[in-house]
Amino acid sequence: MTGYWVSVVTEDWRWRMFPNKGDYAGVPLNPEGRRVADGWDPGKDQAAGEECKAYGTPGIMRIPGRFHITWQDDQTLKIEADAGTQTRLLHFGNLQNQGEGWQGASKAEWQILPTGGRGNAVASQPGSLKVVTTKMKAGYLRRNGVPYSANAMLTEYYDVVTEANGDTYLVLTSKLEDPTYLTEPMVTAAHFKKQAGAAGWKPSPCVAR
Amino acid sequence: MKTVALMLGLFVLGQEPQAPLGPLVNGMDFSGSWQPARYQDSGLGTAAGALVDYGGISLNDASRLYALSWPASRQTVKQQQCMGYVPPYFWYAPGNYRIWEDRDPFTQRLVAIKFYGQIAQGERTVYMDGRPHPPAYAPHTFTGFSTGKYDGNILTVTTTHLKRGWVRANGVAQSDEATVTEHYVRHEDIITIFGVTNDPVFLSEPFTKTSIMLRQPKDPDGWLYACDDSEQILGRKNDYVPSHFFGQNPSVQEYANKNKVPLLGALGGAETMSPDFLAKVSEAAGADAASRAKLLPSGSQQASRAKDPTPNDGEIHVLHVAGNVYMLTGDGANIAVQTGPQGAFLVDTGAGKLSDKVIDAVRKLSAKPIQFIVNTSFHPDHIGGNAKLQASGADPSLTGSFFSNQFTDAGQGATIIGHQNVQTRMEKQNPPAAAPPSDTYFEDRRRKYHNGEPVEIFPLQNAITDGDSIVHFRKSDVIATGDIFTTTQYPFIDVKNGGSLQGEIQALNFILDRTVYVHDEDGGTMIIPGHGRVTDEWEVAEYRDMLVIIRDRVQAMIKSGATLEQVKAARPTADYDVRFGATTGPWTTDMFVEAVYQSLTGLTGLTPKK
Repeated sequence: MTGYWVSVVTEDWRWRMFPNKGDYAGVPLNPEGRRVADGWDPGKDQAAGEECKAYGTPGIMRIPGRFHITWQDDQTLKIEADAGTQTRLLHFGNLQNQGEGWQGASKAEWQILPTGGRGNAVASQPGSLKVVTTKMKAGYLRRNGVPYSANAMLTEYYDVVTEANGDTYLVLTSKLEDPTYLTEPMVTAAHFKKQAGAAGWKPSPCVAR
Repeated sequence: MKTVALMLGLFVLGQEPQAPLGPLVNGMDFSGSWQPARYQDSGLGTAAGALVDYGGISLNDASRLYALSWPASRQTVKQQQCMGYVPPYFWYAPGNYRIWEDRDPFTQRLVAIKFYGQIAQGERTVYMDGRPHPPAYAPHTFTGFSTGKYDGNILTVTTTHLKRGWVRANGVAQSDEATVTEHYVRHEDIITIFGVTNDPVFLSEPFTKTSIMLRQPKDPDGWLYACDDSEQILGRKNDYVPSHFFGQNPSVQEYANKNKVPLLGALGGAETMSPDFLAKVSEAAGADAASRAKLLPSGSQQASRAKDPTPNDGEIHVLHVAGNVYMLTGDGANIAVQTGPQGAFLVDTGAGKLSDKVIDAVRKLSAKPIQFIVNTSFHPDHIGGNAKLQASGADPSLTGSFFSNQFTDAGQGATIIGHQNVQTRMEKQNPPAAAPPSDTYFEDRRRKYHNGEPVEIFPLQNAITDGDSIVHFRKSDVIATGDIFTTTQYPFIDVKNGGSLQGEIQALNFILDRTVYVHDEDGGTMIIPGHGRVTDEWEVAEYRDMLVIIRDRVQAMIKSGATLEQVKAARPTADYDVRFGATTGPWTTDMFVEAVYQSLTGLTGLTPKK
């Protein structure tokens, strides 16, 4: 998974590229969630120093941009996003006082496909990376004020596939559970193409709008 | 002993012998009932998707023109009403889905994984037993031919032999040259499908996209999708296909304006999939100019990017089509062979370069000699093998009959049947072509009951030439069309020899009046084209639609006084050239446009049909 990855924006293109206020199609918002989304005021976020509300964990991976994934240490995988200059830390060990920022606390584990039942001749096979993130500051799912709350929990699965022509993609499946603003878990996916290097890597500050 | 050692060696390497058991595969279990999650790409499922919403799709210029000329009313055309869904679009439909395994009952080895989608009742078989994909000249379907393999927890499925379908059902097409790779991974009760579409015809680079399926805890009741095409607008002629002329789509700005999206983005293209696109549209004037340039044909004329499915390897290849009918390919035009208790019945004889191999192939299919040959045309790639194939056969219906006393050669050799104009034009050549039809007709159908089925021969004049015919094997339900329909090029309308665009369109409609599909434009009556791969009615209808659309474009230009050169310069075929065009060779796009122009202006020597 390590290296530079670029968003391939084919899912939710309109909402990721050109989000508009009140356009929350597809998001299972409850009435309170819609009320908050309809009241979005980016100027107010700017004034409050909360320009990064759309760059928290539930939103950052869907913002078009580039991502740099490295090992910070043996137990911590680091994901840097150039959009908003954000850093996520995925902890394979026990969580200790992490969290409560935009990126919350992320616990990671490799999921190994088990051998299965009796008589199975095939050994355990590599699986996905599972990441569960909690303790996030309330923020936005999209850059148009569609909200998630501090009660939200995000479960992510990362898988890598390589095509016959050598193109390698990181496929991210996300399940967001938020009893405050969502009527049901919201499951989405996004994907990223691996880059040979840092071409296009342009860290930029958060923008409220 | 060597055999034992070899087998041990294979097992040590983990490579089990594949026959007859097939490979031992196992992996993630995807079985169950599923439904698509609707949290992303809201509104883009099934027949939805706003007009001119192409953002995030790597469509090329030709594909964009194709989409811009597509009005939603195209779906009123009979054959468009029940079209199936190609993967990966297959997974975007809103209905119920089921996945299950097909295992050998005796070994319990995994033979295939099956996908069923309620919308269009599409059933996909993903073979897991290592079998190869069919040859290029085999039929295509909406679900294609799929093989799969496990890689860790991921199932990778490769699909070929797809029909023309949708990338998005708002006119963004996926061509019949597309191949699709899908990666399936299951997490708890979620399946993520990552599709990679490679389409040399309509995409500038691979189109990649995810879709999500959620497991349904209870098996639903609704699994069927009743679709039966019918007349939608009374009195409409069967050569009417709705389309927008280039640059005249009235909905171009609608989606962009409504959603505050730059038109350059709404028009799509590979650049719109990149984060860097946001910087490009920040300069509004430049973006507007760039978007306007995308609404009309530009750049140089394109040639087809489709591979010729004919092997052209010096061998004759045989494909069972249906019932008693086979297709022989590899020597010029395709040859249809019907077999049974009587002598073989052939349609066309190819170019004549591989006639001995054609005769050998027929002998393997039929214990009896060739009895009848129908020539669908006098063109040399259809009649080149007449002499040899006729000589190899016999027509026992004549030998010893009343007539045999009048002709010394009665029954010696196969009987060649064709339109009178085929005979006339072959005899008028200098030197005369060998073995012209001896059994001819003019306007009425010829019919025979041969090899246990009715066989009808229909003259369809003034399509490719003035001597065209098609042959319908009614019980096998196979139609050999000659060059009236091909999958490889624009129709070779031979204006000098009586061909015309309107005759060609009428001939295609005649064929479509005789075809019946099994379900949702798949299967049923099978078509052996003059050149290219076996099809069913879908491809014939698509070909007809294309010709009607091109006709209407050229006709409109003629009405406004355009000369032939002006028509050519406007590139009225720009959206189809990437599939059927040629810039070199015996039948170029320019020649085709000339034939269209001449047909419509009456410069053919014929009176254009109204």
